[in-house]
Amino acid sequence: MTTTGVEQVLPQLIKQNGATLGRLLANGNAGHAEERADGRMHATVRINVDELVWDPAVLIMPHGGELELELINDDMNTHCALLPSNGDSQFIWLVNHSRGMATLHLDGPGYYWYSSPTGNDEGRGLTGAIVVMGDVPKDARLDRPKQPRP
Amino acid sequence: MAEATEYVDAGRAVDQATLTFVTGSAPPVARNVTYERILRARSEPHNWLTYYGAYDGQRYSPLEQINTQNVRHLTPAWVFQCGATGLQAGATTYAFEAAPVVVDGVMYVTGWDGWCWALDARTGEELWRYKHAIPFDVSLCCGNVNRGVAVAHGKVFYTTQNAHVIALDATNGKPVWDKAFGDVRAGESATVAPLIVKDLVIVGSSGGEFGVRGHLDAFNFETGEHVWRCYMVPKPGEPGSDTWPKNGEAWARGGANCWITPTYDPELNLLYVGTGNPAPDFDGEVRPGDNLYTDSMVAVDADNGQIRFHYQYNPHDVWDYDSISEHILFEMDGRKAMAHFDKNGYCFILDRTNGQLIRVFPFVDRITWGDIDANGKVTPKVFPDKEGDPVHFWPGPAGGKEWTHAAYSPKTELLYAPVQDIGATATRRRREFKESIPYWGAGVQVDAEDIAGSISAFDPRTGNEVWRWRNHVPMCSSVLATGGDLVFAGEPGGNFNAFNARTGEMLWQFQCGSGHHSSPTTYSVGGKQYIAAPSGWGGWVEGFVPGMLGAPHGAALFVFALPD
Repeated sequence: MTTTGVEQVLPQLIKQNGATLGRLLANGNAGHAEERADGRMHATVRINVDELVWDPAVLIMPHGGELELELINDDMNTHCALLPSNGDSQFIWLVNHSRGMATLHLDGPGYYWYSSPTGNDEGRGLTGAIVVMGDVPKDARLDRPKQPRP
Repeated sequence: MAEATEYVDAGRAVDQATLTFVTGSAPPVARNVTYERILRARSEPHNWLTYYGAYDGQRYSPLEQINTQNVRHLTPAWVFQCGATGLQAGATTYAFEAAPVVVDGVMYVTGWDGWCWALDARTGEELWRYKHAIPFDVSLCCGNVNRGVAVAHGKVFYTTQNAHVIALDATNGKPVWDKAFGDVRAGESATVAPLIVKDLVIVGSSGGEFGVRGHLDAFNFETGEHVWRCYMVPKPGEPGSDTWPKNGEAWARGGANCWITPTYDPELNLLYVGTGNPAPDFDGEVRPGDNLYTDSMVAVDADNGQIRFHYQYNPHDVWDYDSISEHILFEMDGRKAMAHFDKNGYCFILDRTNGQLIRVFPFVDRITWGDIDANGKVTPKVFPDKEGDPVHFWPGPAGGKEWTHAAYSPKTELLYAPVQDIGATATRRRREFKESIPYWGAGVQVDAEDIAGSISAFDPRTGNEVWRWRNHVPMCSSVLATGGDLVFAGEPGGNFNAFNARTGEMLWQFQCGSGHHSSPTTYSVGGKQYIAAPSGWGGWVEGFVPGMLGAPHGAALFVFALPD
């Protein structure tokens, strides 16, 4: 059996009410947060009309730290966002055609899910990923020779 | 698309806690918790000041309001629940494994996935919460779990699954400092409840199934400054390094993690640290030698992190017999002793001034991996030494007793252990090491049938079993002993039980709806004694009771008291 990307095999998986009822998670656009001179990062995610997906669905931070996130709901329905952040998760309502902000503090490396926890937005596609790249601080690493990785 | 200026202003995202009844404020009771108070923790039995209740790890409280005569009237006083929200690491394996700490009417307790709460210990009202964001993809050997907090000098300390140690303001849960002490890219994580000793916060690393190098770390509690690190596998040239292959890097992946809170003798200024399995767990051929200081009691100087002496329970372990379990400190015939129930099925009584063996005796019925004689000589008999050849042995890798803690009552002078009588089959399968990938060196299947368990009481002077309460499945929650001559322990099936500490007779039982894999504690507020029991089945269930992988998956803290 050969395998091929989801989009080529069954494009209907990455739209609403196509092959499945909702849209397969984490199969949307990817985008990078911008780093400012002070090390803080900034990004915008949107909810497009009738797509029920965060755009970008995968947001990439170059390293851990503070992210100023702009959230824009271009959809014709009300959604919301529950976002990971050290201290407490951040919640915001996003009524039709609204714009809000969130400040997130994330360690990384690793990735975190966030979603719109209303109805089943989460299952329909409004579950996005925030990827944090980089490494832990040097003084937290093991004292050993460099090891092979997968 | 409309212009940005036309958007409805949704404002700024808010803390999720603001959408609850959480007040965000707790009384400043932790301000005066000092090292001196923790030293004398048992003199204020209304509190449970530190992970084990006191430095000696006895998990004993002198409280006696609830006793053998009235325990049958015990009823729930309140229940605290949280549950899971959204997608979280270990979505199916999270468990409630903590030991609630109580200071003058305020309870501090951790959950899974970075949760830490302050609760009113009388009513269960949530006073504040702190939620650390945990990466979904963090390496977790045994579930999304955490074992609790330390409290001192107005701060609450705990570790996170992505290997940070965090100090919170005990009055509002706001972070004071936050330090990473492990490398998640190497497969390290943290689950341990910290221990306060003098001006230090002591924590240890998890990750023994990923081929890391275990370590114990100390931070200044006020500033978060890193004070010392003690590696539990020596580098080439260091003492103990001759127990590892001369060539290659087996030592660098050697394991020996310290994922359970140490006990502490203030007179000797020694931490008694139990260390985890070597890596790879079951393939010993790639690491010939005793592999110090894996599967050992390591006595560590609390001031500088230097190893003073050790006792290795499983030289060259090939059964995954971590020796992380507690070392219970007690006096026996004028001698400073300590007791340790090892995964290998034997209980060791050691002299804690020098690590010498006083007594060793089996505490579980079936032990087939080998035996240990009265002098401590270890003779392995059954182990996975041939590639592809299945080998069955008792106890399985979860051990005759897992990490969940035994107790000692100075009143009855008995030890009480949660016992698991369960075997496993391991088939050696060599694999190359890759950082962050599980490094077991075997395929392992733990028995789902022909299993048993018990709460068993032992006389440490003789090694004799005094009583046993039998269960049809392994017992894998910590035991709590009280001055009311009671022993409390939860079952995998959700029952929380009280036993007569002298006879083992079951006196009371309450079904909590989900299994127990945690550490119950006791305290009193306003003269009323409470028993706190976290209930929430999960973690490494495939290791200790795979036949209960489908059991109800709750997440609730039950607190019991006598009716007014």
